[in-house]
Amino acid sequence: MSVQKPTYSFGDLPLEAVETGTNILVTGPALGGIRDLVMRMLLRRHAREGALFIAADVNGREALSDYETLGGKVDIARMGAVDCTEDGVDDGSCNVHAVGSPADLTGVGIEFSSLYERIHANGAARVRTGVYTLSPFVVYAPVKSVFRFVHTLTGRIRTADGLSVCAIDPSAVDDKTVASISQAFDGKVELREAGGQKAIRARGLADQPDGWLPITLDS
Amino acid sequence: MRELTVLYVDADDSERTATRDALVADDAISVVDATSVATASDAIDRERVDCVVTEYDLPDGTGLDVAARLRETAPDTPCILFTNASPNLIDTGHHEDVVVEYLPRDMPDTRESLVRLVGNVVTERSQVGYPLPTKEDERLAALEQYDRPGTAAADAFDRLTTLARSYFGVDVAFAGLVDAHEERFLACAGADWETLTREDSACTHTLLEDDMLVVDDTHTDERFEDNDRLDELDIRAYAGVPLETPRGATVGAFCLTYDEPRAFSDEDLTDLRLFAAEAMDQLELRRRLNERSDDPETEATDGGTTR
Repeated sequence: MSVQKPTYSFGDLPLEAVETGTNILVTGPALGGIRDLVMRMLLRRHAREGALFIAADVNGREALSDYETLGGKVDIARMGAVDCTEDGVDDGSCNVHAVGSPADLTGVGIEFSSLYERIHANGAARVRTGVYTLSPFVVYAPVKSVFRFVHTLTGRIRTADGLSVCAIDPSAVDDKTVASISQAFDGKVELREAGGQKAIRARGLADQPDGWLPITLDS
Repeated sequence: MRELTVLYVDADDSERTATRDALVADDAISVVDATSVATASDAIDRERVDCVVTEYDLPDGTGLDVAARLRETAPDTPCILFTNASPNLIDTGHHEDVVVEYLPRDMPDTRESLVRLVGNVVTERSQVGYPLPTKEDERLAALEQYDRPGTAAADAFDRLTTLARSYFGVDVAFAGLVDAHEERFLACAGADWETLTREDSACTHTLLEDDMLVVDDTHTDERFEDNDRLDELDIRAYAGVPLETPRGATVGAFCLTYDEPRAFSDEDLTDLRLFAAEAMDQLELRRRLNERSDDPETEATDGGTTR
């Protein structure tokens, strides 16, 4: 009898489950449904999974409420958000921790690590982490800090059996920078829209379907 | 496993003793301790440490001041804030760029978690400020075979870079090997650079390229636009070809730099590849000679990454 490896699964999205410790970069245009896609990839599949958002384009509260709209079950002991927007505020009622600026990657990293530890200590053996999106960090912070932050996050996910789903908008960041950042991830999920149909394609991740697969998302 | 040296900074004697004991209980860790930003800075200047663990509140500043000092001196070294100070009490204002790990001290079994985290941030190279090649460990193992005493003294590299500089009409032509933390120049025509930290070196990015890296203007490339060190060295344009061993490990780069934005022609880039190939051949020949002198019984074979 073979023992099944623990994995993170993605419900009805056209993606196969991935092993624990996997870091995925999601690329696609901001208005093409990428936020919806990231949120769906973060949906908790059972009560002992935790979820953590690093919100740079929207505030933390909004991220959690969008998550709920998509069917995510909110459990504030095992969920939380790091709010990196300029006017973000702490909100204990939904476990939102504000940093105040996407340029403050030291602050983002500290809040992320702290929240990850707490969620884990509250009984979430597995934690899904989403970053929406990396683009403001690249725009506002020095590129060296962005690499430090990305390595810190992906390293923690690998060693803690987590999952990360990090979005980047290639129209906001140049291709060469996206290529260097993608090196820190195990693989990519690309999103595109052609002829009115949205589709995703997985690259570099084991056991995934080939080619572009149609998907329905809210933009 | 190699022993790790951890610098541990805390002014509280009993905390320091308890945490120190927990760290050294792991046979693979040795601890240097400090009680303030000033003594921690001295330790960072004095010796190479693998990881820094620091309390946030220190008598003459904060743990982030220690991290900032570390980023100046040994920028790749990971730093962990190990503290009771909750994130909202930590003032990141002057240190938005340092990026550190954070472990709350009030968690259950927190010292055991710290030992694990120290191991993880070192093996994962968690806080390096640049992209890493996919097989970095293999690359570094391969580099050891090429980076031997005397290699940098070889006249062949001086001749090659001197020729390249005048042939392409650039400010500087150089051949460099990129190790775990810095690039060291085998030869450098037109400047007297000896080393450059990896996060400041354009060659760090060249290592990840299959063919070459060409930057016409560092000020308009997101990867380099905020790199002050390149400006200090008058590098505004750059072309570099990876030095790849016969087994496919990239150990360094052969490069040209110029102090103004500049486009390199296709002919120039084709010729630059030839210079790089010649430099790599020189390195490979030296590796084989070294292999023979190390062990006269062994027939020299193809070098590179170990399988």
